[in-house]
Amino acid sequence: MSATVTAPAGGNESAPAPARRSRVRNVTFPRILRSEWIKLWTLRSTWWTLGSTVVIMAGFALMMAVVVQFLNDQMADVEMAAEDQASMDAVLGAPTVIAGGYEFAALVVGVLGAMVITGEYSTGMIRSTFAANPGRLGAFTAKATVLAAVTAVLTSVSLLLGWLVSYPILNANDMTLDWSDGEAVRKLYGVVIYTVLVALFALGIGTLLRHTAGAIFTVVAVFLVIPFIFQIVVAFASSLDWVLTVNKFLPSVAGSAITPNGAQVPEVLDPWVGIGVLGAYTAIVLIAGAIRLKAQDA
Amino acid sequence: MIEAEGLTKRYGAKTAVDGVTFTVQPGKVTGFLGPNGAGKSTTMRMIVGLDRPTAGRVTVNGKPYAAHRRPLAEVGALLDAKAVHTGRSARNHLLAMAATHGIPTTRVDEVIDLTGLHAVASKRVGGFSLGMGQRLGIAAALLGDPRTLILDEPVNGLDPEGVLWVRNIAKYLASEGRTVFLSSHLMSEVALTADHVIVIGRGRILADAPVQEIVDGAERKLVRVRSPQATELAELLTVNGAEVDGVEPGLLEVRGSTAVAVGELAAASRIVLHELTPVASTLEEAYMSLTADAVEYRSEDITGADGQAQDGVDEGQLAGDLEGNKA
Repeated sequence: MSATVTAPAGGNESAPAPARRSRVRNVTFPRILRSEWIKLWTLRSTWWTLGSTVVIMAGFALMMAVVVQFLNDQMADVEMAAEDQASMDAVLGAPTVIAGGYEFAALVVGVLGAMVITGEYSTGMIRSTFAANPGRLGAFTAKATVLAAVTAVLTSVSLLLGWLVSYPILNANDMTLDWSDGEAVRKLYGVVIYTVLVALFALGIGTLLRHTAGAIFTVVAVFLVIPFIFQIVVAFASSLDWVLTVNKFLPSVAGSAITPNGAQVPEVLDPWVGIGVLGAYTAIVLIAGAIRLKAQDA
Repeated sequence: MIEAEGLTKRYGAKTAVDGVTFTVQPGKVTGFLGPNGAGKSTTMRMIVGLDRPTAGRVTVNGKPYAAHRRPLAEVGALLDAKAVHTGRSARNHLLAMAATHGIPTTRVDEVIDLTGLHAVASKRVGGFSLGMGQRLGIAAALLGDPRTLILDEPVNGLDPEGVLWVRNIAKYLASEGRTVFLSSHLMSEVALTADHVIVIGRGRILADAPVQEIVDGAERKLVRVRSPQATELAELLTVNGAEVDGVEPGLLEVRGSTAVAVGELAAASRIVLHELTPVASTLEEAYMSLTADAVEYRSEDITGADGQAQDGVDEGQLAGDLEGNKA
């Protein structure tokens, strides 16, 4: 507080003058987008979460490639039946290797998605946000748009990195990604869609709960703890139809049908139906969040 | 210009703002005065659409806040210093706010200089002192060069130099024809800054008048007289039409007379005076007498209503002070 601030006397250059009003323009959606873009990149937590997403994805790809190399070395002597080889490829094909860490990456992106809004509620920033966009929904939509776009680009870049770092090993084992194989490529962009939906789902949860810890806990429960519990239940009670039905409609299991993991789950929805189910959950949570955001006092 | 009509806010059973109607005129500083919990902040939050009124309506420059296409150019609001993400730097906060209205970076740097934040502009807000947070809030309020300024307890946490700066900037902005609405629970602050004052207590408007009028209107103009012959003097004054209160043995408070008249009367009757002081009314006393009813009513409330203990304590103390003045 060393700077001496005197009252702006008449003619003071820095005083706000009515003549300058023209420099203030109407609030438009692109301007709100720009504001949310600035907000996202001016927080350290963004760099941390997004940075760790890239590291996790690339790291897992490399690790999985090493695992593939190891398995191939082990089985070099074993004569494998053609159908075994086929099922092996489905479980541990190039997409699985390249997108190896996507579930963890999705969780990290989920943390970011939750914090984008809970960080504003917990610090009081939300009041500044709403003062600038009193309609509120514009700000919310802009947040969701920026989050989805950044997540999509980031996941794509991570996959590309995963492809690069695993390429030498995969190439040596004659397992490189076949870009003409529609299903393999779909599994990869399926991962992009999946992480984007997890980020948006987390944004919706954060908007509903307005509390960072509570929102992150919920997201981790939905995408990690509950599916983990069901994995155990399914393993022990796979004869129960309802267990399998509930399992395949879980947000994470349904959403994963489109990813390389889809093939590993015993009973799973069709890839596009599955991602549609996750999309529906996400839409419900986002709409519920938007209603609370719009209707309740900030 | 701010116009509120029957503005009401209830939280469950508690009525925070109870059908207030008032107009804040441009071109002057209007003080919004009331004890803690009187409904000042809630009223201000309703003006900028953060809280939804239970009933009634409020417009700024002719429209509800949310209906403006450039809200930051209409109203600059400092609602509390903690409306900023603690992880962001002051300048980045202002840049993000500015982006919504296409406000150029030069204006951001202008308000940073204007509020004396230059040295800390690139630091994260989480490390700011209360005073610096307050300056950042004022910088954000000025960003859109608004026609109306709403400042909730703007001098809170500021150093003396900062307090003076806020007073001067409020007066300056009003002199430019802007509407300046500034809340405080400190009567002295309002007396020094405001031209007009709206007094609120228990969610209701108790007074809405020029500061001078409120000071003049208060029935606290009296003369304090200390005399060893107080009883004798009191009789004499009463006979001459003055109203006399015995504050303590040997000390009188005289209403309806002047120091000159009391002195002359005492001299004529050869009564010894040890003190003869005209006590001018202050806004503080005016405020006390205005809020007295609300305060006393609330004090009775405490026993019956729960959940209002915090307010009750504050206002109970006010009531206590008031009793002390009267005794």
